[in-house]
Amino acid sequence: MPPPDSEILVREYARPIHAYLWRLLRDPSAAEECLQETFLRVATAAARGDPVTHPRAWLYAVATNTARSYGREIARRERREQELDPDLEDRSATVPEAAERRVRLRQVESAVGRLPPKQRTALVLRKYQGLSYDEVGAALGCSPASARANVYQALRHMREWLGEEGDS
Amino acid sequence: MTAGKAKRLKAHPGWEAWLGDNDRPARAPRLARDLDAILAAGPKPADWDQARRALQHKLQAAIPAPVYYGRIARSPVGALWLAVSEQGLVAVEFDRPEAEFRRSLERRTHRRALRADDPTDKARRQLLDYLKGRRRRFSLDVDLSHVSTFQRRVLHAAQAVPRGQVSTYGQIARQIGKPRAARAVGQALGSNPIPIVIPCHRVLGADGSLHGYSGRGGIRTKAWLLQLEQAQLPGFSAVP
Repeated sequence: MPPPDSEILVREYARPIHAYLWRLLRDPSAAEECLQETFLRVATAAARGDPVTHPRAWLYAVATNTARSYGREIARRERREQELDPDLEDRSATVPEAAERRVRLRQVESAVGRLPPKQRTALVLRKYQGLSYDEVGAALGCSPASARANVYQALRHMREWLGEEGDS
Repeated sequence: MTAGKAKRLKAHPGWEAWLGDNDRPARAPRLARDLDAILAAGPKPADWDQARRALQHKLQAAIPAPVYYGRIARSPVGALWLAVSEQGLVAVEFDRPEAEFRRSLERRTHRRALRADDPTDKARRQLLDYLKGRRRRFSLDVDLSHVSTFQRRVLHAAQAVPRGQVSTYGQIARQIGKPRAARAVGQALGSNPIPIVIPCHRVLGADGSLHGYSGRGGIRTKAWLLQLEQAQLPGFSAVP
Protein backbone atom coordinates (compact mmCIF):
# COMPACT_ATOMS: atom_id res chain seq x y z
CA MET A 1 0.00 0.00 0.00
CA PRO A 2 1.39 3.46 -0.77
CA PRO A 3 2.30 5.68 2.16
CA PRO A 4 -0.85 7.03 3.74
CA ASP A 5 -1.70 10.63 3.25
CA SER A 6 -1.45 12.21 6.67
CA GLU A 7 -4.26 14.64 5.90
CA ILE A 8 -6.68 11.80 5.27
CA LEU A 9 -5.48 10.06 8.41
CA VAL A 10 -6.17 13.20 10.43
CA ARG A 11 -9.64 13.52 8.96
CA GLU A 12 -10.57 9.92 9.60
CA TYR A 13 -8.76 9.09 12.79
CA ALA A 14 -7.93 12.19 14.80
CA ARG A 15 -11.17 12.01 16.75
CA PRO A 16 -11.04 8.33 17.80
CA ILE A 17 -7.33 8.64 18.52
CA HIS A 18 -8.03 11.66 20.70
CA ALA A 19 -10.70 9.69 22.58
CA TYR A 20 -8.24 6.83 22.96
CA LEU A 21 -5.54 9.07 24.38
CA TRP A 22 -8.04 10.69 26.70
CA ARG A 23 -9.08 7.28 27.97
CA LEU A 24 -5.50 6.25 28.58
CA LEU A 25 -4.34 9.52 30.12
CA ARG A 26 -7.55 10.80 31.70
CA ASP A 27 -6.49 14.37 31.23
CA PRO A 28 -7.59 16.78 28.48
CA SER A 29 -4.33 18.63 28.06
CA ALA A 30 -2.28 15.43 28.11
CA ALA A 31 -4.57 13.95 25.46
CA GLU A 32 -4.28 17.10 23.38
CA GLU A 33 -0.51 17.11 23.58
CA CYS A 34 -0.18 13.43 22.74
CA LEU A 35 -2.61 13.80 19.85
CA GLN A 36 -0.31 16.37 18.29
CA GLU A 37 2.75 14.27 18.92
CA THR A 38 1.05 11.21 17.42
CA PHE A 39 0.10 12.95 14.20
CA LEU A 40 3.45 14.68 13.89
CA ARG A 41 5.08 11.26 14.02
CA VAL A 42 2.54 10.00 11.50
CA ALA A 43 3.18 12.90 9.15
CA THR A 44 6.92 12.41 9.40
CA ALA A 45 6.55 8.74 8.56
CA ALA A 46 4.19 9.56 5.70
CA ALA A 47 6.63 12.13 4.34
CA ARG A 48 9.39 9.53 4.46
CA GLY A 49 7.12 7.26 2.45
CA ASP A 50 7.06 4.43 4.99
CA PRO A 51 4.67 1.80 3.70
CA VAL A 52 1.79 0.97 6.01
CA THR A 53 -0.47 -2.04 5.65
CA HIS A 54 -3.00 -1.36 8.41
CA PRO A 55 -3.28 2.41 8.90
CA ARG A 56 -5.71 2.15 11.80
CA ALA A 57 -3.70 -0.34 13.82
CA TRP A 58 -0.52 1.57 12.97
CA LEU A 59 -2.02 4.84 14.20
CA TYR A 60 -3.08 3.21 17.44
CA ALA A 61 0.42 1.80 17.82
CA VAL A 62 1.93 5.25 17.40
CA ALA A 63 -0.62 6.75 19.82
CA THR A 64 0.05 3.99 22.35
CA ASN A 65 3.80 4.63 22.27
CA THR A 66 3.29 8.36 22.49
CA ALA A 67 1.02 7.99 25.52
CA ARG A 68 3.47 5.60 27.12
CA SER A 69 6.43 7.93 26.87
CA TYR A 70 4.22 10.79 28.01
CA GLY A 71 3.09 8.71 30.98
CA ARG A 72 6.67 7.99 31.93
CA GLU A 73 7.49 11.69 31.76
CA ILE A 74 4.49 12.55 33.96
CA ALA A 75 5.41 9.86 36.46
CA ARG A 76 8.90 11.30 36.69
CA ARG A 77 7.53 14.77 37.19
CA GLU A 78 5.10 13.62 39.86
CA ARG A 79 7.77 11.72 41.71
CA ARG A 80 9.86 14.86 41.73
CA GLU A 81 6.98 16.95 42.93
CA GLN A 82 6.18 14.51 45.70
CA GLU A 83 9.77 14.57 46.80
CA LEU A 84 9.62 18.32 46.90
CA ASP A 85 6.26 18.48 48.59
CA PRO A 86 5.98 16.36 51.75
CA ASP A 87 2.55 17.82 52.57
CA LEU A 88 0.96 16.39 49.47
CA GLU A 89 -0.46 13.31 51.18
CA ASP A 90 -1.76 15.25 54.14
CA ARG A 91 -3.59 17.62 51.85
CA SER A 92 -5.23 14.83 49.90
CA ALA A 93 -6.36 13.31 53.20
CA THR A 94 -8.28 16.45 54.04
CA VAL A 95 -10.44 16.28 50.92
CA PRO A 96 -13.95 15.78 52.26
CA GLU A 97 -15.34 12.26 51.88
CA ALA A 98 -17.35 12.00 48.70
CA ALA A 99 -20.46 9.96 48.11
CA GLU A 100 -20.07 6.19 48.03
CA ARG A 101 -20.53 6.02 44.26
CA ARG A 102 -17.79 8.55 43.64
CA VAL A 103 -15.45 6.67 45.93
CA ARG A 104 -16.17 3.49 44.06
CA LEU A 105 -15.57 5.10 40.68
CA ARG A 106 -12.35 6.57 41.93
CA GLN A 107 -11.27 3.10 43.07
CA VAL A 108 -12.10 1.66 39.69
CA GLU A 109 -10.29 4.48 37.97
CA SER A 110 -7.18 3.99 40.04
CA ALA A 111 -7.37 0.25 39.37
CA VAL A 112 -7.34 1.07 35.65
CA GLY A 113 -4.33 3.27 36.28
CA ARG A 114 -2.52 0.49 38.15
CA LEU A 115 -2.88 -1.98 35.29
CA PRO A 116 0.25 -2.91 33.38
CA PRO A 117 0.26 -0.59 30.35
CA LYS A 118 -0.16 -3.37 27.83
CA GLN A 119 -3.25 -4.71 29.60
CA ARG A 120 -4.77 -1.28 29.99
CA THR A 121 -4.24 -0.37 26.37
CA ALA A 122 -5.52 -3.76 25.18
CA LEU A 123 -8.70 -3.33 27.21
CA VAL A 124 -9.33 0.22 26.01
CA LEU A 125 -8.59 -0.63 22.38
CA ARG A 126 -10.89 -3.62 22.42
CA LYS A 127 -13.79 -2.30 24.44
CA TYR A 128 -13.82 1.45 23.84
CA GLN A 129 -12.07 1.91 20.50
CA GLY A 130 -13.85 -1.05 18.97
CA LEU A 131 -10.77 -2.74 17.52
CA SER A 132 -10.77 -6.42 16.62
CA TYR A 133 -8.24 -8.60 18.45
CA ASP A 134 -6.28 -8.75 15.17
CA GLU A 135 -6.01 -4.97 15.22
CA VAL A 136 -5.27 -4.81 18.94
CA GLY A 137 -2.47 -7.30 18.34
CA ALA A 138 -1.12 -5.28 15.43
CA ALA A 139 -1.23 -2.08 17.50
CA LEU A 140 0.53 -3.65 20.47
CA GLY A 141 2.96 -5.76 18.50
CA CYS A 142 1.67 -9.11 19.64
CA SER A 143 -0.55 -11.93 18.39
CA PRO A 144 -4.34 -11.62 18.43
CA ALA A 145 -4.46 -14.40 21.05
CA SER A 146 -2.03 -12.51 23.26
CA ALA A 147 -4.06 -9.33 22.74
CA ARG A 148 -7.16 -11.13 23.93
CA ALA A 149 -5.32 -12.63 26.89
CA ASN A 150 -4.15 -9.15 27.89
CA VAL A 151 -7.72 -7.85 27.87
CA TYR A 152 -8.94 -10.64 30.12
CA GLN A 153 -5.91 -10.35 32.39
CA ALA A 154 -6.72 -6.68 32.84
CA LEU A 155 -10.22 -7.56 33.96
CA ARG A 156 -9.00 -10.34 36.23
CA HIS A 157 -6.50 -8.03 37.90
CA MET A 158 -9.07 -5.36 38.54
CA ARG A 159 -11.54 -7.83 39.93
CA GLU A 160 -8.89 -9.10 42.30
CA TRP A 161 -7.86 -5.65 43.44
CA LEU A 162 -11.42 -4.55 43.94
CA GLY A 163 -12.29 -7.74 45.76
CA GLU A 164 -14.63 -9.06 43.14
CA GLU A 165 -13.35 -12.55 42.64
CA GLY A 166 -16.83 -13.87 42.03
CA ASP A 167 -19.39 -12.63 39.59
CA SER A 168 -21.46 -9.64 40.47
CA MET B 1 -3.95 -18.25 27.60
CA THR B 2 -3.92 -21.25 29.93
CA ALA B 3 -6.85 -23.58 30.22
CA GLY B 4 -7.36 -22.49 33.82
CA LYS B 5 -7.79 -18.84 32.89
CA ALA B 6 -10.01 -19.71 29.96
CA LYS B 7 -12.23 -21.73 32.26
CA ARG B 8 -12.45 -18.96 34.77
CA LEU B 9 -13.44 -16.50 32.08
CA LYS B 10 -16.07 -18.83 30.73
CA ALA B 11 -17.70 -18.61 34.13
CA HIS B 12 -18.44 -14.96 33.38
CA PRO B 13 -20.43 -14.78 30.16
CA GLY B 14 -21.22 -11.21 31.11
CA TRP B 15 -17.64 -10.18 30.41
CA GLU B 16 -17.56 -11.84 27.01
CA ALA B 17 -20.82 -10.21 26.01
CA TRP B 18 -19.58 -6.86 27.31
CA LEU B 19 -16.39 -7.12 25.29
CA GLY B 20 -18.30 -8.16 22.20
CA ASP B 21 -16.55 -11.54 22.20
CA ASN B 22 -19.84 -13.36 21.90
CA ASP B 23 -23.35 -12.20 21.26
CA ARG B 24 -25.19 -14.17 23.88
CA PRO B 25 -26.99 -11.54 25.91
CA ALA B 26 -25.75 -11.38 29.47
CA ARG B 27 -25.89 -8.69 32.09
CA ALA B 28 -22.62 -6.83 32.35
CA PRO B 29 -20.87 -7.25 35.71
CA ARG B 30 -20.80 -4.33 38.11
CA LEU B 31 -17.17 -3.56 37.37
CA ALA B 32 -17.97 -3.45 33.65
CA ARG B 33 -20.71 -0.94 34.25
CA ASP B 34 -18.39 1.17 36.37
CA LEU B 35 -15.69 1.06 33.71
CA ASP B 36 -18.28 2.28 31.24
CA ALA B 37 -19.20 5.12 33.58
CA ILE B 38 -15.58 6.24 33.59
CA LEU B 39 -14.47 5.53 30.04
CA ALA B 40 -17.38 5.09 27.64
CA ALA B 41 -18.30 8.72 27.08
CA GLY B 42 -14.77 9.75 26.16
CA PRO B 43 -13.59 13.33 26.15
CA LYS B 44 -16.00 16.27 26.32
CA PRO B 45 -16.90 17.72 22.92
CA ALA B 46 -15.29 21.00 23.95
CA ASP B 47 -12.04 19.17 24.72
CA TRP B 48 -12.13 17.51 21.32
CA ASP B 49 -12.80 20.83 19.65
CA GLN B 50 -9.89 22.44 21.38
CA ALA B 51 -7.62 19.46 20.62
CA ARG B 52 -8.67 19.46 16.96
CA ARG B 53 -7.89 23.12 16.52
CA ALA B 54 -4.57 22.80 18.28
CA LEU B 55 -3.71 19.80 16.13
CA GLN B 56 -4.49 21.60 12.89
CA HIS B 57 -2.42 24.52 13.99
CA LYS B 58 0.52 22.34 14.93
CA LEU B 59 0.43 20.32 11.73
CA GLN B 60 0.11 23.39 9.55
CA ALA B 61 3.17 24.86 11.18
CA ALA B 62 5.14 21.64 10.97
CA ILE B 63 4.20 20.26 7.59
CA PRO B 64 4.04 22.05 4.27
CA ALA B 65 0.54 21.90 2.85
CA PRO B 66 0.09 19.74 -0.22
CA VAL B 67 -0.28 21.10 -3.71
CA TYR B 68 -3.52 20.22 -5.44
CA TYR B 69 -3.73 19.44 -9.09
CA GLY B 70 -6.47 19.00 -11.63
CA ARG B 71 -6.99 18.39 -15.31
CA ILE B 72 -8.62 20.13 -18.20
CA ALA B 73 -9.56 17.16 -20.30
CA ARG B 74 -10.23 19.09 -23.52
CA SER B 75 -9.03 22.48 -24.63
CA PRO B 76 -8.02 24.02 -27.97
CA VAL B 77 -4.40 23.13 -27.13
CA GLY B 78 -5.18 19.63 -25.89
CA ALA B 79 -5.51 18.30 -22.36
CA LEU B 80 -3.80 20.28 -19.61
CA TRP B 81 -2.69 19.60 -16.07
CA LEU B 82 -2.51 22.37 -13.55
CA ALA B 83 -1.59 22.65 -9.90
CA VAL B 84 -2.12 25.18 -7.15
CA SER B 85 -0.53 25.80 -3.78
CA GLU B 86 -1.99 28.03 -1.07
CA GLN B 87 -0.05 30.88 -2.70
CA GLY B 88 -1.33 30.39 -6.21
CA LEU B 89 -0.83 28.53 -9.44
CA VAL B 90 2.38 26.45 -9.41
CA ALA B 91 2.11 24.49 -12.62
CA VAL B 92 0.44 24.26 -15.99
CA GLU B 93 1.52 21.37 -18.16
CA PHE B 94 0.51 20.07 -21.52
CA ASP B 95 -0.85 16.58 -21.62
CA ARG B 96 1.31 13.77 -20.21
CA PRO B 97 0.62 10.72 -18.04
CA GLU B 98 -0.79 11.68 -14.66
CA ALA B 99 1.77 9.74 -12.61
CA GLU B 100 4.59 11.46 -14.47
CA PHE B 101 3.08 14.89 -13.94
CA ARG B 102 2.49 14.22 -10.26
CA ARG B 103 6.00 12.94 -9.68
CA SER B 104 7.65 15.88 -11.37
CA LEU B 105 5.35 18.25 -9.47
CA GLU B 106 6.27 16.66 -6.13
CA ARG B 107 9.95 16.70 -6.98
CA ARG B 108 9.83 20.32 -7.99
CA THR B 109 7.72 21.64 -5.10
CA HIS B 110 8.89 19.26 -2.35
CA ARG B 111 5.24 18.86 -1.40
CA ARG B 112 2.75 16.08 -1.65
CA ALA B 113 0.57 16.45 -4.73
CA LEU B 114 -3.08 15.53 -4.40
CA ARG B 115 -5.62 15.50 -7.17
CA ALA B 116 -8.58 17.65 -6.19
CA ASP B 117 -11.21 19.46 -8.18
CA ASP B 118 -12.25 22.18 -5.75
CA PRO B 119 -8.94 23.93 -5.12
CA THR B 120 -8.07 23.94 -8.83
CA ASP B 121 -11.51 24.94 -10.05
CA LYS B 122 -10.91 28.66 -10.42
CA ALA B 123 -7.67 28.23 -12.35
CA ARG B 124 -9.16 25.57 -14.60
CA ARG B 125 -12.12 27.74 -15.47
CA GLN B 126 -9.99 30.79 -16.23
CA LEU B 127 -7.57 28.80 -18.33
CA LEU B 128 -10.29 27.19 -20.38
CA ASP B 129 -12.13 30.49 -20.81
CA TYR B 130 -8.91 32.12 -21.95
CA LEU B 131 -8.16 29.44 -24.49
CA LYS B 132 -11.70 29.61 -25.82
CA GLY B 133 -11.42 33.37 -26.22
CA ARG B 134 -13.96 34.13 -23.50
CA ARG B 135 -11.44 35.78 -21.21
CA ARG B 136 -8.78 38.32 -22.05
CA ARG B 137 -6.56 38.22 -19.00
CA PHE B 138 -5.98 36.03 -15.99
CA SER B 139 -6.71 37.06 -12.47
CA LEU B 140 -4.75 34.32 -10.77
CA ASP B 141 -1.92 34.47 -8.27
CA VAL B 142 1.12 32.52 -9.33
CA ASP B 143 3.49 30.79 -6.95
CA LEU B 144 7.05 31.00 -8.23
CA SER B 145 8.69 30.11 -4.93
CA HIS B 146 10.07 26.90 -6.42
CA VAL B 147 12.13 28.42 -9.22
CA SER B 148 15.55 30.08 -9.11
CA THR B 149 15.84 33.81 -8.56
CA PHE B 150 17.05 34.28 -12.12
CA GLN B 151 14.15 32.33 -13.61
CA ARG B 152 11.70 34.16 -11.39
CA ARG B 153 12.95 37.53 -12.70
CA VAL B 154 12.70 36.31 -16.28
CA LEU B 155 9.18 34.99 -15.73
CA HIS B 156 8.07 38.21 -14.04
CA ALA B 157 9.41 40.15 -17.01
CA ALA B 158 7.54 37.86 -19.42
CA GLN B 159 4.39 38.36 -17.36
CA ALA B 160 4.70 42.08 -18.00
CA VAL B 161 4.49 41.65 -21.78
CA PRO B 162 0.91 42.71 -22.53
CA ARG B 163 -1.54 40.63 -24.49
CA GLY B 164 -1.33 41.33 -28.18
CA GLN B 165 2.33 42.36 -28.00
CA VAL B 166 5.57 40.43 -28.13
CA SER B 167 9.06 40.81 -26.79
CA THR B 168 12.39 39.12 -27.50
CA TYR B 169 14.83 37.11 -25.42
CA GLY B 170 17.32 39.93 -25.74
CA GLN B 171 14.85 42.54 -24.58
CA ILE B 172 13.94 40.48 -21.53
CA ALA B 173 17.63 39.97 -20.81
CA ARG B 174 18.18 43.72 -20.90
CA GLN B 175 15.11 44.33 -18.78
CA ILE B 176 16.42 42.18 -15.96
CA GLY B 177 19.82 43.81 -16.22
CA LYS B 178 21.60 40.85 -17.84
CA PRO B 179 21.96 42.04 -21.43
CA ARG B 180 24.29 39.17 -22.33
CA ALA B 181 22.04 36.47 -20.97
CA ALA B 182 19.62 36.14 -23.89
CA ARG B 183 20.34 32.44 -24.21
CA ALA B 184 19.79 31.83 -20.46
CA VAL B 185 16.58 33.83 -20.75
CA GLY B 186 15.51 31.48 -23.52
CA GLN B 187 16.21 28.50 -21.30
CA ALA B 188 14.40 30.03 -18.35
CA LEU B 189 11.35 30.65 -20.51
CA GLY B 190 11.63 27.20 -22.05
CA SER B 191 11.20 25.67 -18.62
CA ASN B 192 8.43 28.05 -17.60
CA PRO B 193 6.43 26.01 -15.06
CA ILE B 194 3.24 27.99 -15.74
CA PRO B 195 2.94 28.37 -19.53
CA ILE B 196 -0.02 30.23 -21.04
CA VAL B 197 -0.68 32.08 -17.76
CA ILE B 198 2.89 33.34 -17.68
CA PRO B 199 3.01 34.22 -21.38
CA CYS B 200 6.40 32.93 -22.42
CA HIS B 201 4.81 32.47 -25.84
CA ARG B 202 4.95 36.26 -26.21
CA VAL B 203 8.73 36.18 -26.21
CA LEU B 204 10.38 35.58 -29.57
CA GLY B 205 13.80 35.31 -31.14
CA ALA B 206 15.66 38.50 -32.03
CA ASP B 207 14.66 38.12 -35.68
CA GLY B 208 10.99 37.85 -34.72
CA SER B 209 11.00 34.09 -35.27
CA LEU B 210 8.87 32.04 -32.93
CA HIS B 211 12.01 30.11 -32.07
CA GLY B 212 10.60 27.39 -29.90
CA TYR B 213 7.90 26.31 -27.51
CA SER B 214 8.00 23.44 -25.09
CA GLY B 215 4.28 22.84 -25.06
CA ARG B 216 2.59 20.09 -26.99
CA GLY B 217 2.57 20.97 -30.65
CA GLY B 218 5.66 23.12 -30.10
CA ILE B 219 5.77 26.18 -32.31
CA ARG B 220 2.31 25.51 -33.69
CA THR B 221 0.86 25.96 -30.22
CA LYS B 222 2.91 29.09 -29.70
CA ALA B 223 1.63 30.53 -32.98
CA TRP B 224 -1.90 29.54 -32.09
CA LEU B 225 -1.70 31.32 -28.74
CA LEU B 226 -0.34 34.48 -30.38
CA GLN B 227 -3.09 34.33 -32.95
CA LEU B 228 -5.66 33.95 -30.20
CA GLU B 229 -4.25 37.10 -28.65
CA GLN B 230 -4.17 38.84 -32.03
CA ALA B 231 -0.54 39.67 -31.53
CA GLN B 232 1.08 42.10 -33.93
CA LEU B 233 4.10 40.15 -35.06
CA PRO B 234 7.11 41.90 -36.54
CA GLY B 235 7.60 40.00 -39.76
CA PHE B 236 5.85 36.82 -38.62
CA SER B 237 7.91 33.81 -39.56
CA ALA B 238 7.95 30.45 -37.88
CA VAL B 239 11.39 28.89 -37.85
CA PRO B 240 11.13 25.10 -37.79
